[in-house]
Amino acid sequence: MNATLTTCPYCGTGCNFYLLTNAHGKLRGIEPAGHHPTSRGQLCIKGWNAHAFVDHPERLTAPQIRTNGALQTSDWATALDLVHSRLTSLAEQHGQDSLMFLSSAKVSNEENYLLMKLARAGYRTNNIDHCARLCHSSTVTGLVETLGSGAMTNSLSCFDETELIFVIGSNTTEQHPLIGSRILQAVRRGAKLIVADSRKIRLAKHADQHLRHQNGSDVALLNGMMQQILQDGLEASDFINDRCENLAALKTSLAAYSPEYVAKITGILPEQLVTAARLFASVNKAMIIYAMGITQHSHGVDNVRAVSNLALLTGNLGRPGTGVNPLRGQNNVQGACDMGALPNVYSGYQKVSDPETREKFSTAWGVRLPETPGLMSTHAIEAAAAGRVRGMLILGENPLLSDANQALVEKALRNLEFLAVIDIFPTETAQLADVILPAACYAERDGSYTSTERRVQRGRKAVDPPGLALPDWQIICQLLRRCGLQADYAAPSEVMKEIAALTPIYGGIAYPRLEPNGLQWPCPSSDHPGTPILHSAGCTRGKGLFSPVAYRPAKELPDAAYPLFLNTGRSYFHWHTGSMTRRSHLLDREERAAFVEINPEDAQKLGIIERQLVRISSRRGAIRCRAQLTDKVPPGQVFIPFHFAEGAANALTNNALDPEAGIPEFKVCAVRVEPC
Amino acid sequence: MSQPSQTETSIYSPRPCRLLSVNKLTPQDKLFRLQLRDGSELQHQPGQFIQLSIPGLTDAPLSVASSPTRNGYFELGVRKAGILTSALHRLQPGEQVGIRGPFGRPFQLDDLRGKQLLLIAGGCGLAPLRSLIQYCQDRRDEFATVQIFYGARSPQDMLFQQDLSAWQTGGSFNCRYTVDKKPVDSCFDGETGLITNLLNDLQIDAANSCAVIVGPPTMYRPVISALRRLGLNSEKQIMVSLERQMRCGVGKCGHCTIEHLYCCQDGPIFWLEEVEHLRGAL
Amino acid sequence: MLKQLNYDNLLQLLETISTDYALQVPTLLADGTRLLANYGSGELSLTGPPLQRKPTSAFFPQTELLLTIDVEGQVHLPQPEKPVALFGLDRTDLAALTFLDRFFCAPPADDIYQRKRDRALIISLTGSAGPERSFLPLTEDNCDIEMSAVNGQYLALGHSELGQGFLDGFADGDPQQLEDLRRESAQQVSPAELLQQASRLLSEERVPDRFWKEIADKCILCSGCNLACPTCSCFGVQDRQSGHGTERSRVWDSCQLDAFMREASGHNPLGSEQLRTRRRIHHKLVADVERWGELGCVACGRCDRACPVGIGMLAVAEEIVRRFN
Repeated sequence: MNATLTTCPYCGTGCNFYLLTNAHGKLRGIEPAGHHPTSRGQLCIKGWNAHAFVDHPERLTAPQIRTNGALQTSDWATALDLVHSRLTSLAEQHGQDSLMFLSSAKVSNEENYLLMKLARAGYRTNNIDHCARLCHSSTVTGLVETLGSGAMTNSLSCFDETELIFVIGSNTTEQHPLIGSRILQAVRRGAKLIVADSRKIRLAKHADQHLRHQNGSDVALLNGMMQQILQDGLEASDFINDRCENLAALKTSLAAYSPEYVAKITGILPEQLVTAARLFASVNKAMIIYAMGITQHSHGVDNVRAVSNLALLTGNLGRPGTGVNPLRGQNNVQGACDMGALPNVYSGYQKVSDPETREKFSTAWGVRLPETPGLMSTHAIEAAAAGRVRGMLILGENPLLSDANQALVEKALRNLEFLAVIDIFPTETAQLADVILPAACYAERDGSYTSTERRVQRGRKAVDPPGLALPDWQIICQLLRRCGLQADYAAPSEVMKEIAALTPIYGGIAYPRLEPNGLQWPCPSSDHPGTPILHSAGCTRGKGLFSPVAYRPAKELPDAAYPLFLNTGRSYFHWHTGSMTRRSHLLDREERAAFVEINPEDAQKLGIIERQLVRISSRRGAIRCRAQLTDKVPPGQVFIPFHFAEGAANALTNNALDPEAGIPEFKVCAVRVEPC
Repeated sequence: MSQPSQTETSIYSPRPCRLLSVNKLTPQDKLFRLQLRDGSELQHQPGQFIQLSIPGLTDAPLSVASSPTRNGYFELGVRKAGILTSALHRLQPGEQVGIRGPFGRPFQLDDLRGKQLLLIAGGCGLAPLRSLIQYCQDRRDEFATVQIFYGARSPQDMLFQQDLSAWQTGGSFNCRYTVDKKPVDSCFDGETGLITNLLNDLQIDAANSCAVIVGPPTMYRPVISALRRLGLNSEKQIMVSLERQMRCGVGKCGHCTIEHLYCCQDGPIFWLEEVEHLRGAL
Repeated sequence: MLKQLNYDNLLQLLETISTDYALQVPTLLADGTRLLANYGSGELSLTGPPLQRKPTSAFFPQTELLLTIDVEGQVHLPQPEKPVALFGLDRTDLAALTFLDRFFCAPPADDIYQRKRDRALIISLTGSAGPERSFLPLTEDNCDIEMSAVNGQYLALGHSELGQGFLDGFADGDPQQLEDLRRESAQQVSPAELLQQASRLLSEERVPDRFWKEIADKCILCSGCNLACPTCSCFGVQDRQSGHGTERSRVWDSCQLDAFMREASGHNPLGSEQLRTRRRIHHKLVADVERWGELGCVACGRCDRACPVGIGMLAVAEEIVRRFN
């Protein structure tokens, strides 16, 4: 048996494990890294099973080209030539911005950087984005405005010393299990826990307070807490005076949010709000943890601003055991953002609209670069449906299942004149492609990944890719060369050298320094030890900005025709569109099919029994799946995980977008449930 | 040092079997008649099960529904429930499947011989019990009176309807059938209500009786209470069949444990006193 | 047969073994983890904390091909591998191996396991081989060679004929040293006493159901307790089809998962987290005693280390004894 240390391919926690290979070089198991600071000898169920899909017989092993409607096996040169010529000709005919590039939170920093370079320098468009648009674009937008940096401010080790954890919109034990477990351990050692979540998640069983506020009412809840804190005079005056600005405007904006007013919007009792606010403000060190429950709304950026306001108001920033802590969902969604797989920034959040920055990248890459920010992925889908985006290259994403309003996405993808997909499995999206390029998976290539705590760490190759499949970075390099750009990187470590040279926050990142446990950015120079806690001396933007927000209801609320709230998200055993977990024996066996969580009260009213097949419909579509009766969801709300193609939650969801971040409202729409 | 060859078999190797015939029993149940491809007999005993293997779908435990006294084939009564059973339902005569087994402890025939038998089945439980009923039919003189009690949800959910009428009219057995719900237009001439209703008014020689229960999990406790009221209170008077999700059939995979027992090896047929004190058994 | 080896002799012995065996030795990995890995693949580590990966995984691996079924329906067993040699097992590792041997070889014997196990060579590593050279008690059982670190040398006791064959030619060891080791081993305190107490309380039904609910509420269903446990033997079966036929493998399974016993009908005899948590502890401390005559837990501590929420076997046993004794 051989053991190769690598980073888990699932959530953003950043656990490390050993990939165990047998005498024939076959992947046979996983062992958690015993001394890694995140995993500490522990993993969640997905981590323990992360080897299982790697040698699945459905892996893509050769390039495929659609000929007369059917996908046919091809070779690399032909397939890559075709991709390049089709993208080039579309750009010539319809302009560079008729192309869209979707990068991936599943591939390495180096690969994200290279795809970003390919889009910008190769095909001269800023139309590049990735699935952070669907998860934490609100965070990046909101926190850059209020603090100057859109990442988790603190480190996972902070859970060991905090006095209070406020979890809002994060089912942490299921979605970031090894972070969830740290929360449970903190509670055991005496830390307080407030959970704000309409669902009765596991953490709620251990919470001092569980606030089951209505989905989409987070701004009201947070504003109410802040108003109460101000009423009680519990704000951190010194911290505010020294380090924040715009308090007066915040105060004015909060005046209306009395406990009674908030109760009407959120559905929680006025006393609960008061108690929660006082508890939160009573401690010296509190961490706010949030995830998709905050971000995936048409007012996601406002939610993030409210979270940030609360942390600033109570001085919970820049110290151990505090902070605004968005939990990033994918193993490299932080890195994909850091690398500039976004329409408005290069790597390190350097703005494309800034002439000096543009000049820097232009010089380094030896080409003139486009000036205007590109399309967000969600807008690109709309543009494709309208015929304005005509060619798309998708790297390791499956928007047909993962994006809101599946009917629109399908129309958009089918409408494209050319679609190329780089992936490891024949996903639903790949089935629509004109060219499919087979990629190596995480266990088959080297690279670096950046976890939710900004820890840049290594992924290492343990086994060879199947058939002709190639590491994504090599595929992108082939296209870079076809664009006439230099791409003679011998290994990802050389790409990282280029990233470090162009990206101040990664300036000190180099492969030898990532041994064994990585470095946390910002790490501006080769002697910098990395930064476990952001904003410690001052905020990245200088002063912390109070950014007042007012409650706006979700775009679609239940009514007579569609009387129930639909909440969507992930389940514990599956990962996003299921391309990996549904091909992993144990994970698949646990949850083999789509289901809808429905409160027994609602089920009784609708005449639905456990495991019964039901039809769920919204204004955008309808699906069928089995009912799971549980009081985990409150009456009036149903929850459907979005992993299952045959019962796709996103056939129902509303693509109402946040006006600033472009994130869809995955967490709220109105549906009807009927027995069938 | 042994050098196993490629052709050596393992306890996990399925043996090829041919489907001789497929008959519909109910809208969800079919009867499959199979034969080992090498022509040999399965050599099972009533109450045992086999693991049926379909490449791509692993294998699943199915009890044998026919008696070893019937030569040249064995039968499986299978409800379409999971992936494998659904695939099996799509197969046609002539096609091939794999089997392992027979496995498990059968009905304890030595203890049943000479006794007055109460054979009680609910729902799909009639499939394994049928192997014993057929055995009793073929070796009728080995047993005293044999009474068959069967309960199903509705007349159309009743398995082996031809067998049921044949047993009823054949004179060898005393049969009583009941359904939970009888549609108005049904020609079903049995009773309506829970299976325990069939037992409550029974006159039996309790000391010389043995009962066998095979049915869905919810059936056991009420039926056992009814039998106790009839006076079946001693050891080796009530036999139960406990179905679990056996994966290996050989006591290794752990999916069928009931406390310290492995249902696939120590069962599936147990005397009540062996399991009634075990948490989760009944 | 008692021999004395110096470090070079030890390396020489390992070298010899590695010609005929797939030898796995304690190896120090990048982040400080120690586990059994291919001889020569990394830094040999002769002292330190317990091996991270359970050594029994050499015979019952996380994923293991059982057989292939070709397109004609013909069944083929995997080709035999080079026999396995394991070096570096401590007392709990060997107790676990003994437990698993008995389990898999009980009739009907699991030929897939037995085939590998019968041909294997097992060498323990005890004496001053713990963290910072702390003392590990002798195993005295179920290994071919007992290797004990004493004063920078290795005392090698050949238990089996196979083991003795490999020790031929090395210098004789001092029987007094062995006696000293045995005396010191006998003084070691074992956590087994705690487990015995918990076992007794459980079999006396002194542990109420609400206790299991409390433990289950903390469990995040990682399955690590089962997967890390050297005596856990449950497996699931997976089929994978390609153009060449079907590969049927077994994979480690966990009784902590809802679908572990869930039937196709939806019925589930272990249908709540509470029941499953109870099973995890009860099976090792009561059911295994009933069936095999001894505890199913060898107190290696792996599940306690693998558990992200602190409800491993020793932690739960301690809680049971503290609250219900």
